[in-house]
Amino acid sequence: MKTSFIKEELLFQQLATAFENVVIEIVRKETVFVYASKEFVLPILLYAKEKLGYNSFSHLSCVDWIENDEFELVYIIWSPETKINLFVKTRIDRQNPTMENTDMIWRQINTYQREIREMFGIEFPGFVGEKEFILEDWEDVPPMRRDFDTLEYVNDTFFEREGREDKQDVRERIAKRSGEEIPDFAKKYSRE
Amino acid sequence: MREKSTTIYLGPQHPGITGNMMVKLQLEGDTIVKAQTHVGYLHRAFEKLIERRNWMQTTTILCRFCVPEPDPPEAAFALAVEQIEGREVPERGKYLRSLVLELARIQSFLLWYAGQSGSAGLYTVGQWSVGDRNYVLDLFEELTGGRIYHMYIWPGGVRRDIPVGFKDKVLRTMDYIEKRIDDYDRMIFDSAIFQKRAQGVGIINKEKAIEWGVVGAPLRGCGIAHDVRKDNPYDAYDKLDFQMGVFEGGDVWARAKVRQFEIRQSISMVRQIIQNLPAGDFLNKMPNPMKWTIPAGSAYGKVESVRGEFGFHVVSDGSDKPRRVHARGPAYVHGVSLLEDILVGENLADVSFIMNSLGVCPPEIER
Repeated sequence: MKTSFIKEELLFQQLATAFENVVIEIVRKETVFVYASKEFVLPILLYAKEKLGYNSFSHLSCVDWIENDEFELVYIIWSPETKINLFVKTRIDRQNPTMENTDMIWRQINTYQREIREMFGIEFPGFVGEKEFILEDWEDVPPMRRDFDTLEYVNDTFFEREGREDKQDVRERIAKRSGEEIPDFAKKYSRE
Repeated sequence: MREKSTTIYLGPQHPGITGNMMVKLQLEGDTIVKAQTHVGYLHRAFEKLIERRNWMQTTTILCRFCVPEPDPPEAAFALAVEQIEGREVPERGKYLRSLVLELARIQSFLLWYAGQSGSAGLYTVGQWSVGDRNYVLDLFEELTGGRIYHMYIWPGGVRRDIPVGFKDKVLRTMDYIEKRIDDYDRMIFDSAIFQKRAQGVGIINKEKAIEWGVVGAPLRGCGIAHDVRKDNPYDAYDKLDFQMGVFEGGDVWARAKVRQFEIRQSISMVRQIIQNLPAGDFLNKMPNPMKWTIPAGSAYGKVESVRGEFGFHVVSDGSDKPRRVHARGPAYVHGVSLLEDILVGENLADVSFIMNSLGVCPPEIER
């Protein structure tokens, strides 16, 4: 099946020749994944940009794999010639999350790193960017981490408006007023 | 005498700003010497919410990423999920998706006419185009049940087929809009005020555009031909005949010319879709939507919105809920550090004008 992926195979060969310690996978048409340890990410991105023509940076994303105690950083770059989306993936330690700063390659990475630093608590040594991005005076667990408990945060932070302490369900009030009964399937969403 | 510098805060509530965001400006006279963007007034934690919703419930959140353009996020997410799952979309579903995406582009262009001309003080066109946009919203209401948020594009196709008589209504509306945009163009592009305000303002050169990852009309306004619909065709775009609007200059004028060209292309595409709409199924149905699981994997789905490439990085761990859905909207690139960079040296009165031409949409930046 892989034989029909001619341009993907070519990219596979180019990357496999240049980097020995990486795992390359042709996932589907116009999508190639490269799994590398974090010290190889910068060289791969630079090589792809300078030598292979992947000059368009699409995305930097972070995924919290809490069960493995790791964060996964995903750099997605694109080439106007081959039209392939190249994913460069790396896993970093969740307890000491640091990653090399890459915003000198594409300046838009600056914004992504600001967000990831704030939302996941990953540090990028040498990175210059305003500390706060979306949140303000945030001192809790970085909120996009899987162990951030949203319900606990809401219960601790917000309160019922005065006069609403009884947490009366609006639907129950309507039911009382109209004389109609709340259907059984909807009762499980009731606050009581 | 040396002018003293002044600091002013534009926003978060300001009629010229395209949503709730603030730009802190340091001025000498009325020339900007430093600009600093500040977002966070519209953070609704959608990406966190999505982690607690199942795949089907996610589709109701996605359209709220960007209010003026709710359809491209739906389409980008659907493409990503289809890539992971390997789900095929029936031909009619592809055409209907392109129809909705192009109608969405037209309504968004009409909203842009209002913002761009209004921020130059030409309010008449804004009144007209927002009024005319309602005719496109009427079509959406009839097709999807919603005027603004449609939740129409699902992984596997679209939610429902077109109603009886819908094709004629679409064609009539397109004829009307086409006639009206000639009037808008005379009011905007022939206006000396608009020409003087737009030419040579908010310039992005080619090198900077590539380095910053500029997309959409701002990129094509720098003379670089890139459009996701052409470069990585999705849905029915490989079967439609259309051209990209590519103009040189990189200023607000060039970006406006791109949009002026592309609204006509969108109208032409809508007509082509209506004429060539294939028969057959419109949805490759998923199993019980509340128990629907997606195999483990990840994908990046991207579509061309009016403001540029809109993408979603979607990760599944094989369960009934997405592991991660991370959006990349054009405003994320245009509205933060690029804006800070290009505002330097510009006039205070041009800030809203430049923001409108870049398509800065704060709800999409902070989600």
